[in-house]
Order: sequence, then C-alpha cells, then structure tokens
Amino acid sequence: MDRRTFVKQTVGATLLAGTVAASGRFSRLFAAVPPLPYDLVAVKGGEPEAMFDAAIGALGGMTSFVRKGQKVVIKPNIGWDVTPERAGNTNPKLVSRIVHHCLDAGAKEVYVFDHTCDDWRRAYKTSGIERAAKDAGATVAPGHTESYYHPVSVTGGKVLKEAQVHELILESDVFINVPVLKHHSSSQLTAGMKNQMGIVWDRGYWHRNDLHQCIADFAGYRKPDLTVVDAYLMLKQNGPRGVSLDDVVLLKTQLVTTDIVAADAAAAKLFGVDPDDIGYIKIAAAQKVGRKDLQNLNIKRIAL
Amino acid sequence: MALRHLRTLRVVTSLLLFLPALFIFIDLTGVLPPWAVNALASAELVPAVVKIFSGVGVGAIGLFLVLIMTVSFGRVYCSTICPLGTLQDIFSRLNRKRNSRRRFLFRRQNYLLHYGLLGLTTALALGGSLFLLNLIEPFSSFGRTVVTLLRPIALLLNNGTASLLGAAHVYVFFTVPLHIPSPWALTLSSVFAGALLAMSYMRGRLFCNTLCPAGALLGLLSRLSLFRIVIDKAACKDCGLCEKVCKTGCIDSENMRVDFSACVSCFNCFDACPTVGLRYRVSRAGAQESPPRRVNRRRRALLQGGVGAAMMVLPGSDTLRAVLPVPTGKSRSKLPISPPGSGGTGRFTSRCTACHLCVSACPTQVLSPAFLEYGPGGIFQPRMDYSASTCNYDCAVCGQVCPSGAILPLSIEAKKLVQIGKARFVKDDCIVITKKTECGACSEHCPTKAVHMVKSEGLFLPEVNDDLCIGCGSCEHPCPSTPNKAIYVESNPVHLAAKKPESKKAEPQVKPSADFPF
Repeated sequence: MDRRTFVKQTVGATLLAGTVAASGRFSRLFAAVPPLPYDLVAVKGGEPEAMFDAAIGALGGMTSFVRKGQKVVIKPNIGWDVTPERAGNTNPKLVSRIVHHCLDAGAKEVYVFDHTCDDWRRAYKTSGIERAAKDAGATVAPGHTESYYHPVSVTGGKVLKEAQVHELILESDVFINVPVLKHHSSSQLTAGMKNQMGIVWDRGYWHRNDLHQCIADFAGYRKPDLTVVDAYLMLKQNGPRGVSLDDVVLLKTQLVTTDIVAADAAAAKLFGVDPDDIGYIKIAAAQKVGRKDLQNLNIKRIAL
Repeated sequence: MALRHLRTLRVVTSLLLFLPALFIFIDLTGVLPPWAVNALASAELVPAVVKIFSGVGVGAIGLFLVLIMTVSFGRVYCSTICPLGTLQDIFSRLNRKRNSRRRFLFRRQNYLLHYGLLGLTTALALGGSLFLLNLIEPFSSFGRTVVTLLRPIALLLNNGTASLLGAAHVYVFFTVPLHIPSPWALTLSSVFAGALLAMSYMRGRLFCNTLCPAGALLGLLSRLSLFRIVIDKAACKDCGLCEKVCKTGCIDSENMRVDFSACVSCFNCFDACPTVGLRYRVSRAGAQESPPRRVNRRRRALLQGGVGAAMMVLPGSDTLRAVLPVPTGKSRSKLPISPPGSGGTGRFTSRCTACHLCVSACPTQVLSPAFLEYGPGGIFQPRMDYSASTCNYDCAVCGQVCPSGAILPLSIEAKKLVQIGKARFVKDDCIVITKKTECGACSEHCPTKAVHMVKSEGLFLPEVNDDLCIGCGSCEHPCPSTPNKAIYVESNPVHLAAKKPESKKAEPQVKPSADFPF
C-alpha cells in the first residue's frame, strides 16, 4: 500500500465511521422525543400478544421508541434449556410480537440474543424463542463466547466499575429488555435488572462481589429504552430454572415501562414480595437509577 | 471381469465411507443427529466386538457383515470401512518421492509380534483393562487423530469465518469454544497420531500388519477366505510391478507368492499388472508364505522385547502415576466421574475404546479425555470435566453415539435419575461466608434443586439434598469461589439412582382475578 492509498482509505473509513455514528444512536440526542403519557403500563387478563398490543398502544405505539432505519436489540431471558410452559424463559409469543412491532415501526434490523446459562443452542431452541424471533423477521445472534463482548466502564457503579458488554447492546439504537418474572435462588426475584446479567460476560465477578450491589450498579450503566416484564406464566418457586410444571402459576399479566426500577418494584408486588425486601431494587432506587415509589408514579392499568 | 476396476471401486467406496467417518469427529455444531453418528460408526470392528460384552447386542449386525465379507474376500474391511486405513492411504500418497521412484518392497510379516499383540490385547481386555487396545485400536486411533489434530484446525477455520461474518452481523456460522483437555493427554495423543501418520508416510500400511488388533484378527480370518489373490505363474511376466505398488508389502514377486493374510485388498496390484498375472479366485490353498528374506533379527528382538516389557509394566503400574504430574484443577474432586449411562468407572473403563466420538458429540463439551485420572490403564478415556462445563440435564447424546456400549443409550427421563456423583458443599470456602454477601450461583443452575438455599444469619446459604443430586456439575462449574470451589461433585465409582424431584403445586400470592397489587 502506498502513502496515497493509505491516506485515502483512512479518510474514507473515518468519514464512514462518522456517518454511522451520526445516523446511529447519537441522532436520538437531537430528535424531539415527546414525553410519554404514563410511567408504567400494567395489563392483565389477555394472551401475551394482546397484552403487549394494549400496553404499547397506551404508550403511543412502538413509534414512540423506534424510529425508521434504527437498529433494535431485544434481550429476552433465554437462560435455560426448558420448554415455554415451564416459564424459565420469556414467552416466545411475546418476543415475536415485539419484533413485529419494531419492524412495523420501521426498524432496519431487530436482533435477539441472550448469554444463556444452559448450552446456548439447546436453550435457544427449546425455549421456542429462536424459531419465534426468526419467523417474526428478527436476526437471532449468539452470545456464548467472550469474543462478542467488549469492555466498558460502568460510570456511577459503586462496586462494579467495569464489565464486558455484548456488542449488539453497544451498537444498537434501541434496547428492549424483555425479562420473565421468576423466583430466583440467588437474588430472590428476577425481572428487569437481573435479566441484564445476560448482556455481560463475566457474571462470576458479580457473584463474588456482592450480587445485589452489582445488579444495581449495572442497571445504571445502560438503561433499556423499554422494559417489558412477561408475567403471563410466573415461576413461583425453584427459580430461576424451575424443576417441574408444579413451579408455574398462570398470572396473565404484563408490565411495560421505560423505568427498569419501577418495572422490578411492580414485578415484586405481583410476585408477592415487598420491593424493599429485594436488595438490588432498594439499592438501585437509592442510586437514582429509577423509582420504586409506585404510589407516586403515573400508572395505566388495563384489564382485558 | 476386468480386475483393474476393483481398485477404482475400492478408492470410491473408501472415500464414500471415509468422509462421513471424518465428519462425525469434526461435526463442530452437531449437524448430524446422534443416531446417525452411531449408525455411521456401527460397522467399526473393535467397538462392535466390545459391544457384545456391553449388554447391547444391536451392534452385532455390522460385525456380522464384516466377518462374512472377510471370510469371503479377505480384508476388504481394512481398505474400505476402516477410516484409519484410508487416512493412512492418504498420507502414504502424500509421499510423492516414493510414488515416483522407490516404491514398496516385499516384507516378510512379523506374525509373532502382530498375533502376540493381539493375544496380549485380548487377554488384557478380558481381564478388564483396555489400556493396550485403546492405544492401538484403529477406530480410536483415527478418532483421536481427528479430534486432536484436525478438529482444532476445523474449529479455527470456523471461528475465523464466524468472526468475519459476525462483524457484519451475519450469524450463519458461530464461534465454537476450544476446550483443551489435560495437556498431557493432548501431548500424548498428538505423539501417537503423529507417529501413526509418519509410519504411513514412510512405510504404507505398516501399522495394519504390525500393531493393529483388528488387522490381526481379520488377517487370521482371511486365511479362511474363499476368494484370494494369487499369482498366475503361467501368465506372470515377472516384472515385479505388483510388488512395488503393494503398500502392505505382501507380494513376493520373486517367488511368485502372495501373503494373503497380510493383504488389505486395496487391489493396487491388479491395476499395476500389465498382463493378467494376478488373479482373484477361489483357492483352497492356505496363506502362501515366502521363505525368510533379509530379516534383521537383532532389531526385531529388541523391538519385541521393548514393546513386550512396556506393555507389561505400564497398565498396572503406579510408578508412572508417581513420575508424571497429575493435573490438579481447582475442584477438590478426587476420583474421576464417568458419564451417565456408563454404570460407573469400573464398568466404563473396561468397555470404553476411547474413540472420542462422545467427546466430539457432547453439546456442552463436558467430556474430556483423561490422562491418569482413571489410572494409567484408563488413558484417553473420557471423564466429566466440570472445570470446563456441565452435563446438560435434558441431554443423553453421549450414550446415543457410543459405538462400544461403554455408555449405554438412556432415555432422557432415565438419564435424569442416574446419580454419577454427589455435590459436596465446603461452607468455609463459600462466598456467602467469606464475603458475607448473597451468591447462590450453585443453586441457581441446579436442575433438580438438590442444591437449595437456606436462610442462615440473614443470608441464604446452599444446602445439598443427596437424594436429588445427580452429579451433573451444574453447581460446581459456576461456583465463583476462588481459589477453591466451595461446591464440587464427588464421584460415585458405581452409579446410583437419584430420587425424582417432587414439589407441591405453587400458588400465586396475588390472585390473578384480583386488582393490581400496586
């Protein structure tokens, strides 16, 4: 390569990178975002798809979150090699519906992935999410090797100062967190914030260094643009994997919000525990990641 | 019939059988279903013989066909079905220098060594040690060669492609983690593979007529063969071309004899013969052996003595274990854990031919070739390595692919109740105790909740219910405690039955019919 080519290519690449950056997530900084009518929408009594339609409708439709040409990443819980009725993973019907809404809103690409606990290919398949997401038009991405994760610093973190985050989270314009509400043997409860452990690589560090504090620290790093808590089926005991169908109850509920802490506080109430009894909810609220004072929030309640 | 076409037929058949055999060991992403993998390996001689002793007789069909084929046409197996045979042919062919000038020469077979090894191998195997068999068995040698040398290359190519495409968010390929077994097992396996390939490069099918137990067994049977290759003294022009292309060195053109028990039926000779001097015909004559010619007796005696001594000393010896460093993980587990379906370490080590088909097929890559964990006799036989991964609860692939019956095929439901070991909790090493914070990674991953959390001094501490534990390693693997794991699986040398987990039907705290609780 001669010097002239080198200069040309460098300039070209820089221009390209600049264009990408400008058209990507940073463009949101300059776009006028109208305020949302509600802090949280809670729906019950319907199928996962119908409940999401109702909830997102109440928030002005998916166009309030996804603009034309944007790249969206959806992070469901695909942790376990268990079937949908076992409620160890997010309901595949809900994932499919969210993908449809994003594409209808003009999303250029929709990605779905998780850093699973069981073997990722088995979990993707058995959960029904891989099939459902692909059929809906999303790209299902792997997250099983360190090569997909890049180091970031967690500003504002008390214990967790850095983490390795999946590249799709770093690159996407819109991040939609879609946890399933479950009992959890480690953190007592898993919903929005705990689900975000699936976008980082080294979870062992969190377990070694005050799990609740790390979950709360990371929640402040990249707040999802939308959190959708799937409580259609709820794993009431033996979580997070569940042992049998005996562990599952039918709740037919869904929570949709931009505030991940509010999502978890409301989820705790649905589960039947006080949000203040869950370490990471208390810490995250204290660190001003979001609000757990549900009584002061503008909540839209829908019964189908 | 034009006998020279037999060679073409042999080459085509062997490649058609070789490529699938290669693929089942390289299949990085589990494209083939386990039953297909098992079927493709079902005609492999030694695993099929071992299978008779394993209590699953279905493998006998492939074995029966091989035996019929051998007593009819000789060692056709060695040049078609045996993937190690074809691999050697490929390496032999790579030696272009020899192909052009100095080719093969007649070699009087060393039957004392070959049959002696077969006898020793059989005796040891019947006595419960597959040590010798596993070092020289052709299918296992092939499997290990591919898994040790070729699979990593395929893996790197795959991962390179995956990361290039992945950068453009195309996920047709995905990275496959490289699990490196015990460095000793890897080194030794590489040395064996390298020696074998070098042997074929230099001397063609030398391995098949000196070390290979399948070759010895089929060689004995081929002495009864109905059809055999003979030199037609009337038609032979005494050009010696057949001898030069014979990669086993079984044609003595000088004396116009063919040692058919050493012949691997490659049919190169038919192709080379300018006349019709070679015939493949019904012959009642016994194996035609030639008078001895140019034998280096001293070298042979040394070789025999050395091999014999090594074989006697190695399998039972604890000295080797003392000399070589035993790999120490961070786990406190002492005894090796054999895979579910193997019955226990004793049964497993006396049935497993160490072909590594399960190692290659295991979706979680928890199976890892042992070095001395099972004792020196259990070298290369796979064990559960929970530092690498865990045994997936809803999976029984290893038993489904195993060609020797060392790991019996279990239904998923049956497999979930096999206890291969028990979790042991070391409270003093646990994060909850040492750091006074919540953790619970062990219980989180436990599929039966044998490991459950119990409130203790304001924090949740793990507790193990032995009855429910199946020893899958789901607790040990994710345990974040350093330097020692606070929970590990202790082997059940004889596998036991676990209890089926039962729990009462969960009730929602908040009735679905009630108003929102917020």
